[in-house]
Amino acid sequence: MNHDIDVKKLRVNCFRQSKVAGEFMIQLRVPGSLIKAKYLAVIQHIAETWGNGTFHIGTRQTLNAPGIKYKYVDEVNAYIQDYIKEIEIEACGIDMESNEAGYPTIGARNIVACIGNSHCIKGNVNTHELARKMEKEIFPSHYHMKMNIAGCPNDCSKAHFCDFGIIGLTIPEYMPERCIGCGRCATVCKKVATGVLELVNNKIEKDMCCCVGCGECVSACPSGAWAYSKQKFYRVMIGGRTGKQTPRMGKMFLNWVTEDVLIAVIKNWQSFSATILENKPLYLHGGHLIDKAGYHRFRELMLKDVKLNPEAMVAERIFWTETEYRSNINVKKPIA
Amino acid sequence: MGLQLTNAQFNQVLARLSAKYAIYAPKNFPLEGRYSDTDMVRYDGITQVEDIVFERKSDMSAKEIVTPINETIMFFFNGQVQESKIPQKEILIFARACDINGFKRLDDIFLRNSETPDYYYQRRRNKIKFIAIECPSQGWDTCFCVSTQTNDTSDYALAVKSTGESLKIEIKDQEFAEYFADFAQNSTCQYQYQPVLENELKLTLPVINSQEVLTRLKNHPMWKEYNRRCVMCGSCTVNCPTCSCFTTYDVKFATDSETGAGERRRMAASCHVDGFTDMAGGHTFRTSAAERMRFKALHKVHDHKQRFGDNMCVGCGRCDDRCPEHISFSSMIQKMHTAVEQIKQELNHDSK
Amino acid sequence: MTANNLLPINCEILAITKTTAIENLYRVRFPHVDKVHNGQFLQLSVPGFGECAISITDFSVEEQWLEFLIRKVGLVTNQIFNLNVGDYLPMRGPYGKGFQIANYEGKHLAIVAGGSGLAPVRSLIKHFHANPQDLKSFELLLGFKDTDNVIFKSEIAEWEKQFPVIVTVDNPSGAPDEKTGLVTQYVSGLKTIKQDMNSVEVVIVGPPRMMEFTAKEFIKNGVPPEKIWVSFERRMSCAVGKCGHCRIDEVYVCLEGPVFNYAATAHLFD
Repeated sequence: MNHDIDVKKLRVNCFRQSKVAGEFMIQLRVPGSLIKAKYLAVIQHIAETWGNGTFHIGTRQTLNAPGIKYKYVDEVNAYIQDYIKEIEIEACGIDMESNEAGYPTIGARNIVACIGNSHCIKGNVNTHELARKMEKEIFPSHYHMKMNIAGCPNDCSKAHFCDFGIIGLTIPEYMPERCIGCGRCATVCKKVATGVLELVNNKIEKDMCCCVGCGECVSACPSGAWAYSKQKFYRVMIGGRTGKQTPRMGKMFLNWVTEDVLIAVIKNWQSFSATILENKPLYLHGGHLIDKAGYHRFRELMLKDVKLNPEAMVAERIFWTETEYRSNINVKKPIA
Repeated sequence: MGLQLTNAQFNQVLARLSAKYAIYAPKNFPLEGRYSDTDMVRYDGITQVEDIVFERKSDMSAKEIVTPINETIMFFFNGQVQESKIPQKEILIFARACDINGFKRLDDIFLRNSETPDYYYQRRRNKIKFIAIECPSQGWDTCFCVSTQTNDTSDYALAVKSTGESLKIEIKDQEFAEYFADFAQNSTCQYQYQPVLENELKLTLPVINSQEVLTRLKNHPMWKEYNRRCVMCGSCTVNCPTCSCFTTYDVKFATDSETGAGERRRMAASCHVDGFTDMAGGHTFRTSAAERMRFKALHKVHDHKQRFGDNMCVGCGRCDDRCPEHISFSSMIQKMHTAVEQIKQELNHDSK
Repeated sequence: MTANNLLPINCEILAITKTTAIENLYRVRFPHVDKVHNGQFLQLSVPGFGECAISITDFSVEEQWLEFLIRKVGLVTNQIFNLNVGDYLPMRGPYGKGFQIANYEGKHLAIVAGGSGLAPVRSLIKHFHANPQDLKSFELLLGFKDTDNVIFKSEIAEWEKQFPVIVTVDNPSGAPDEKTGLVTQYVSGLKTIKQDMNSVEVVIVGPPRMMEFTAKEFIKNGVPPEKIWVSFERRMSCAVGKCGHCRIDEVYVCLEGPVFNYAATAHLFD
């Protein structure tokens, strides 16, 4: 039986095609992955009323209800009006119309984030607050982009494997007058980070060159000789991706940028995409888009009118390291 | 009879006091806590009531004022040595009963542990007078000052209780009455310093009454869990109001200096931290976390008492507040008490 | 306000004698030798590098000097090795409770020293070497790692002329009549343990484990623990009972020690 369903249109509406003909899965955005627990009732209601009673935690931290028959799409869209309004318009401050048409676009995907410093002892930044600010810059837009936000360089939310990965950093401040010379920060830095600290005659010397900004030295310190910088900093990884052809880890684009700079940069994503795609919002991974533009063109467009903070560093060039499934030169049958 | 002054009025008193006294109090240091976006409350110089944190127990104790984490004790120049100087001003410290009682323990070590008082401690200690801060009626949930009998103090010149917008003040040392003369007529109220009389936590301290009990407690399996739990960071000792250990070390200002200019410093040390017992030849005592925990714990509730008569621990609970591994010293005290009672029973049984 | 007793005083180096590959003997002029007891220690410093506790190995009240056997093993001692005769070596002290001569007078005394543990008892040995009439008998049992590490060789040779001295090395050199092995195996052969225990005193100084096992050997051979004296070595930073590094239980090694009666310290473990 031919349902005559425009699956592309539905996909843009955040309903994903099922292998069961005529069934779809709704994906509710959860920007920054933290919302009030009461919204679990929303996805439960959708799943039990229109879906197959199950619920999937999306790989990009969306709330998904599979098994929704096509005929219920309008009902579901009407039902999620309040959810979209409360999350996107009220919590993220997005200037968009509230209606019964469901999500206006799938474009920029849900912003993935770890729990961040609202809970985690390792976190340097509040990932949810940042995600909501970022959501406002990238949604709703038909231009595709996957953004992940990690609260610290542990990168639990895989900023290294998305188009635009943001990692929260600190430049810890050392107060030698509070230091007891135990060297624990140096030991911990060596063990879990990059070993940039050295205890020299009972005080710490730091090689700022290779500091990853994780803040482990601060939490390791028994005497409060280290403090998180009052200013929060970010690292931006670009062009990471998974996929069938050329998966690769993202590379560092910016280091030690402030939130203002970060927002100014991300504001340029739409115009960068429009320029490279000649104003056609094609479904093209951000990494491929950067490849299409070339890194230097990408950098030029993304940093347009951006005033960098004094600490900021920008990649001069990028050496991508891809897994080339099309060559497979290193994979051979073992010799019997 | 007491006084009740608005914060603004008390600030006038502080301004007058500051001519003669350096005034220290627990102060908030925003974003300087152990974890991101958390604050640190520690002692520092203050100029107004609004600087003082009354609603929260300080993370660090008041000992830092008289035994700074780092202190230069002498300078070297051209083969000559010169002791360091400290400011002339007298010192006033806003402190809670636990901290004031903590100073009594520091006095034990620095002033009474040998025939000669410690010069560097004494020169500051002689200048100190306390302004007692009245605690919430039960203190905080980690406090056990009533169990350690360090909940009260009479060693204060003034006592204060904050109501938020104003301070109730008891003037105990009449030398300070003159600073309040302007308000003596119109601002009187009924106020007298009230110690905490009951904590949420109620502990029984171990009574180690013989060498054999001590030896068995040292060898008790209760310490083993700390090999797994304690990371030997020393946080519990750095913020303890009674931990006073330090290491002396030298700094040379320039490696190629012909004058040999440099200085000798004291720096806080911790028996939990690697290197505390290291000798030049390479020998180390107490290498495991369990041994170090036992060493510290027994010092707090037994060894110091053996030597000076008072338990060292003042029940402020700061060690529990600050431990990154959530090891609770108050729980450890209970475990020691249980172990000691069990040991005493065993010994009774053995002797029958 | 008490005087600042932590400021070091400059003491002139009078002589430096190379003793082993990594040990030198320093003789320095010291104005307060009258306050010194055998077995005490001082805090030596090299400004800009730090302080270290070194025990007194000999002293002369008449000539106003102290001697220290210094092993080159750390930041400060490395610097001391750069000093020459005529240079100043700043120091403060003396500190601690040493050996009380009167305690051993009229007794059968055995002194056991391991390695550089000979240094803190050397002045005691020299005292009784010079005053043999003050003891009923005197025996020395000295253990070293190997012959190259034997310190005060010529003095040992002098002592041997007057009373029995056993020198044993852990690593044999192959020389004839050489005694080898740990000091513990020679304890049962000492004459001191055959005496009336009321008139016996034993002094043991060396590494912690050596002192522990040697003391146990004497006890096994009938010497009461209260007749045994040991010298504890602990990290010292202030040397005046403030810094806490040397504390064991309620005891401060720098104040009550370094010399302790074994019976009083048997329970001190850490």
